[in-house]
Amino acid sequence: MTGIEEVFRAAGVTGHLHAADIDTGRELGVGSDEPVVLASVFKVALLVAFFREAAAGGLDPAEQVVLRAADRAPGPTGTAILLDDVRMSLRDLAALMITVSDNAAADVLYQRVGRGTVNATLRLLGLTRTHLAGGIRDMQDSLLAEGAVDSLGELMARLDEPGLMQRLSALDPARTTRGTPRETAALLAMIWRDEAAPPAECAQMRRMLGLQVWPHRLSSGFPYDDIVVSGKTGTMATIRNEAGVVEYPDGGRYAVAVFTRSLLPVAVLPQADAAIGTAARLAIEALRR
Amino acid sequence: MNLVGHLNCFVAVAEELHFGRAAERLGMAQPPLSQRIQRLEKELGVRLFERTSRHVRLTGAGRLLLDEARDILTRVERMYTVADRSRFGERGALRAGLPADLGGGVVAALIAAFRERRPDLRLDLREISTAAQVRALAEGALDVGVVRHPCDTRGLALGPLLGQRVGALLPAGTAGAEVHLADLRGRDLVVFPREEAPGAYDELLVACRRHGYDPPAVHEARHPQFALGLVLAGTAVALVPRPPDAPGVTWRPLAGDPVVWRTSCAWRDGPGADAEAVAAFTAAATGVLRREAPMSPLEPAPRRVVTRPASGFLA
Repeated sequence: MTGIEEVFRAAGVTGHLHAADIDTGRELGVGSDEPVVLASVFKVALLVAFFREAAAGGLDPAEQVVLRAADRAPGPTGTAILLDDVRMSLRDLAALMITVSDNAAADVLYQRVGRGTVNATLRLLGLTRTHLAGGIRDMQDSLLAEGAVDSLGELMARLDEPGLMQRLSALDPARTTRGTPRETAALLAMIWRDEAAPPAECAQMRRMLGLQVWPHRLSSGFPYDDIVVSGKTGTMATIRNEAGVVEYPDGGRYAVAVFTRSLLPVAVLPQADAAIGTAARLAIEALRR
Repeated sequence: MNLVGHLNCFVAVAEELHFGRAAERLGMAQPPLSQRIQRLEKELGVRLFERTSRHVRLTGAGRLLLDEARDILTRVERMYTVADRSRFGERGALRAGLPADLGGGVVAALIAAFRERRPDLRLDLREISTAAQVRALAEGALDVGVVRHPCDTRGLALGPLLGQRVGALLPAGTAGAEVHLADLRGRDLVVFPREEAPGAYDELLVACRRHGYDPPAVHEARHPQFALGLVLAGTAVALVPRPPDAPGVTWRPLAGDPVVWRTSCAWRDGPGADAEAVAAFTAAATGVLRREAPMSPLEPAPRRVVTRPASGFLA
């Protein structure tokens, strides 16, 4: 009908998508209620729980914390790649967690907020099929142990060994942090409607999601100067996701969540990244008709 | 009384006419065998054997009852067979999938090799693409298959991984012992339809472009004869494993083996289909593919992967 499935097929991925008009509730999806691996998209749920705690006075978002170089969770971006100790406020760590998917920052916030609080927040918001099974370190530990490798780089290098990927619980929605396209889009819509937290906190979250640096996925589908694309990516081997909000100059705003899994076990697959943007655009254009 | 067990003993002794040999055949000691025969005679109220110190002979009643005993044992065996079959959904066959392009020789050898291992079980072979096999295995519509990687192996168990060299099928008279992919520049490419094995298809095209061959057009040929025709016409090259010799064309390996098809048996992980039948098929198919295709075992070899900040894990 919309050609979304054809876009996924041509890119060599299986994909699930849900798009919703934030103001009218009109929606459209492909596998909207399929359980999906969130990967780093889970950081949005952590962000919401963090700002609700801040609003409730449970923590001070301006509190300075020190991330010792030796204790930081590993990752390819943000404070995770730095060589020295870092001193930063909790909310700035949240900004790095969202804008560049900083794993070390996410780890600190996860320890501070706690898995139970994040899951309770999701329940409270009516998201019953979204669930945090663990944090950054749990995922990294399970990948190394189940892949029987010493590093994530080695795991990526062995990814084309048939059977290896199915051993990895981090790639199985039944055994890891999961959600559905519909619920992920719903969470974004709540942030944009000031329902996920008080309005001041939602505004801070929107700012961070709007500052995300990655141009290759959702953003690539909307190559127009007057459209705002905010989002959060998620990547785990052959899993490539992004969930975000697309805002048109006429005031139309749409929450969209796209989850893909590629057949090719390779790290660099630009057509799969681009398919996320193209599929999102097709869905939103259909909603706007 | 375990009548079937006792009848088994009776038939063994009747056929051997020797308690020692019968006991050996049954894998038991002689005294319990003698006791069983006595118990059976008591149960039936007739003597089955005349025993002297030198001979064991069937009595008249024994001869009559031997036919009955054999009949009962045959029926009991059939019960087990039918039960076995019912585990295959009353089909009485192992449903196995094969890709379309394996070639007649491979299919025939596979059927023969499976029959040798499991003469009791019918092999229901279907020509199914990798993509369709993965779906059918997941749905339980297929018991075992031969798939081309990479494909979605979630929920599947896999047999040994085999590699098959892919080369270039070119018009006869092409010079050189091997060709570089870059030398194929300008020719159209003939390859199997993408929908049959999208992972392997994409991998093949990535390898072509990476090595300097970006085909101006790609023709998807379901049938080897169609591929052959396009090659014979002179404008296209087919990238295929070595086919049987055919007039007018020649097959050349690719320099550096940039394209190797990876194949393995696959079946649904966990309980379900008869594991022994699946194992027999996997052993037969793996052996035949190595010998006839030919494919060779692949050792896992890590690729060089330089992850970028936006790829890899958890970005």
